Amino acid sequence: MKRMAGRARRRPGRPKGAERRWRGPRSESAAAAVATAGTVPAVPALPGTAEVIRLPNGLTAALLDNPQAPLVTTVLWYRAGSRDEPAGHGGVAHFLEHMMFKGSARYGPGEIDRRTQALGGSNNAFTDHDGTAYWFSFARDRWREALAIEADRMAGLALDPEAVDSERRVILEEIAMFEADPWDSLHQAVAAELFDGHPYGRPVLGTRRELKATGAPELAAFHRERYRPDGAVLVVAGDLDGGRGGAAAVAVEEALGGLSAGAAPGTPAPRARFPDRLRRLVRRRGEVGRLTLALPAPAGGAPDHAPLGMLIEILASGRASRLNRALVDEGQLAVWADGDLSDSLDSGSVVFSFELLPGVEPERAEAALLAELAALAGPGAPRPPTDAEIDRARRVVVADWVFAHERIHQQALAAAHSLAFFDDLERPRRELARALAAGRDALSEVAARWISPERGAVLAWSLPREEG
Amino acid sequence: MSAAGAAPAMTSPPGLSVRVRKVAGQPVIAVRVWLGGGARVEAIPGQALITGRMLAEGTRRRDWRTLAEEIEARGMLLGTWGSFETHGVALDALAGDWETALEWAAEVALEPTFPEDRCRWLTRQAAGELESLGDQPEVRTAWGFLEQLYAPHRRALPLHGTAASLAALTPADCAAFHRPGRRRAIIAVAGEIDEAAVAARVGELFAGAGAEPSPEPEPPAPRGSGEARRTVTLPLPHRDEGGEGGGDADGQAHLYLGHLTVGRSHPDHEALELLAVILGAGSGLAGRIPTAVRERAGLAYSAIAQTVAGAGLDPGRLVAYAATSPATLDRAETLMREEIARLLDHGVTDAELEEARGYLLGRDPFSRETARQWADLLAQSEHYGLPFDDPAWRRRRLEAPDRTAVEAAARRHVRPDELVVTVGVPASLA
Repeated sequence: MKRMAGRARRRPGRPKGAERRWRGPRSESAAAAVATAGTVPAVPALPGTAEVIRLPNGLTAALLDNPQAPLVTTVLWYRAGSRDEPAGHGGVAHFLEHMMFKGSARYGPGEIDRRTQALGGSNNAFTDHDGTAYWFSFARDRWREALAIEADRMAGLALDPEAVDSERRVILEEIAMFEADPWDSLHQAVAAELFDGHPYGRPVLGTRRELKATGAPELAAFHRERYRPDGAVLVVAGDLDGGRGGAAAVAVEEALGGLSAGAAPGTPAPRARFPDRLRRLVRRRGEVGRLTLALPAPAGGAPDHAPLGMLIEILASGRASRLNRALVDEGQLAVWADGDLSDSLDSGSVVFSFELLPGVEPERAEAALLAELAALAGPGAPRPPTDAEIDRARRVVVADWVFAHERIHQQALAAAHSLAFFDDLERPRRELARALAAGRDALSEVAARWISPERGAVLAWSLPREEG
Repeated sequence: MSAAGAAPAMTSPPGLSVRVRKVAGQPVIAVRVWLGGGARVEAIPGQALITGRMLAEGTRRRDWRTLAEEIEARGMLLGTWGSFETHGVALDALAGDWETALEWAAEVALEPTFPEDRCRWLTRQAAGELESLGDQPEVRTAWGFLEQLYAPHRRALPLHGTAASLAALTPADCAAFHRPGRRRAIIAVAGEIDEAAVAARVGELFAGAGAEPSPEPEPPAPRGSGEARRTVTLPLPHRDEGGEGGGDADGQAHLYLGHLTVGRSHPDHEALELLAVILGAGSGLAGRIPTAVRERAGLAYSAIAQTVAGAGLDPGRLVAYAATSPATLDRAETLMREEIARLLDHGVTDAELEEARGYLLGRDPFSRETARQWADLLAQSEHYGLPFDDPAWRRRRLEAPDRTAVEAAARRHVRPDELVVTVGVPASLA
């Protein structure tokens, strides 16, 4: 459960950075993470063992042996997302994700889902700007089927033209659904403004025009160039009955070791032309007032990323947070308020959002939000983070770390993201340690660097349609 | 790993059920306090929701600010809620804080003060949520569908009630709703804990709860609105008018089709669950309706089906749903009706049934993975009087129905000629 300020929950969308936190070595008891007030809590760990293997064909695989439940999740994460798409074929990465379920040499159309179901498992996939991930969850005695499926569809796809046409229609409906969702459509409009010139500003689903221009040849080319073992990482997590040199490692090598390397290198993106002032966008849609303020943020690998996450905790996580008080529980201007920091390869975004309480003037709520940011980070920052706030945020991030890793599935996804984009299974733990170590002065400096809307941001309102 | 078998029920005073279970894994404790009384028996629509939420707005010892600060200072997660069947408290904490977590959960559940100013705020906030929900096309269509199925039962309205009913709620209404609820309390605790110590502390803390409960009043039976078909007008799509648009840009229609089936305790529930997987409630897009509507015809991104959706103390529903272009709405409805009728006309195959059974049996361990899941299972077991927490019981129930029994359940509970339809269409086409 993500802590938000206020009660309403937005419909869950694609996985975001917040879900991609992770864990580290498993030697230290997580219970030791509980600390007394004023001290920095220890970074918690998870039970079990972790091993990273690299096959001769370039596939990196992590085996996380954790017998906490008789389950296994596999995640295969390709470093091939919408940033890697050729011009004129936006959406091909996501289109290909759909086609990966529509037929390969050994699995005909629909067979992957039927086989998964018959084995009592589940599967899904998602695409974002940086990559595309496929996962399966099974009981511990049948997870190897996932490797057989992944190997088969990495080796080649049927891409039957009739199936391609049918799936294009499905994605056109997905676009319509996305456009009808008030928050999805607002966030896309904001991203297009914020990430001018960078792929992060383009819709992952592509546009209708691009989709209609994309068919089997483009899908085949993207698959051939990007879906190779050296362009992906595999994580197998759960009750593996031994990791290093064990049956799981042998199974991975047998299933995927015979595939050929040759992935195209990652696509360097042009630098985004971030706004140099506060840019405004007003739309008239729907029946409720909604605001999003997006600011540039450091990439996931940058030193400021973890401390900035702590500032977002102080501002927007839980009922005691500043934005909750100012906008929701005390200010009574918004139904809920939220803050989120992306975790991306290139410079990303910090996004603050709220939904306006009926009858409240939008200007009042907007002013309250900007005043809170200025108090924390503006010139002279009249209300920099306090020791009490930092202490609370530390405890919240440690507890959330533990809550977020209760399930094998969550552990696997977090590890795969870390390995795919930072080549470092330890990275999330380091990030957490860096966040916990940030003191008042460091946080104030980071706040001044990143939370200044007047230096460049996009503020977008979606306001109710005007009658008549 | 969690031990197999059902967690023992503790000996408790009448009206108070206590279940405690050690769950190894992450060092977490999950506390659930389910109090009697949900929206199905409320006098004012929204009363259960607001009463549940008011539990976190102040106790005899602390106001809402102090509660929030002290709970978050320990990294705990507190949720208070009102649902159609209960209201109560959920508190998750690191296991080292187990005793504090129990004490604070008891304080919030048993000592609320229902402050006037917080009641005014929460009802305004809930009215805002209601308006926001109504701005989402699939939700607005679903509201129409539920009213068609459940009127005059309380499930015909959103949990929030209406803007007018929310505005009428007072702290006294909340206190009056909470008081009898305390007499029917379920306390479920799971996690990395010492079961005996937790049980003993729960017994002390909740000594004031429970009593010989008077039976809950029964809500009116759901009969339906009598309409076979309803059209709901949707907000316009949220895309930019200056966007590329094109021939597909008229927005999306939402289609719900179904009828009532059975409650959670009905002996045919598991047979209907198997049918649900065959129809489209299983993994990915393997069921008959997603296969027909999405995989073969390419009409929708979202196409799902269920047979016992929302089943609880009151009947659940058979429902098929698709979001599709207005131009292909009729075709999607035809395909969905054909698949539902085919269940009765041609039955199910042995292969389909075994696949569905394999799916439900295979998924079961995923619902018993965490302390929080276990706490919820324990509370549900007490609430419905069925051992959901016992994996062997669940296995027996899923293994029992053969093809003949599943087809007989379909004949009893699937009625193609009684399907009602709600269609949500964009305002531009209405």
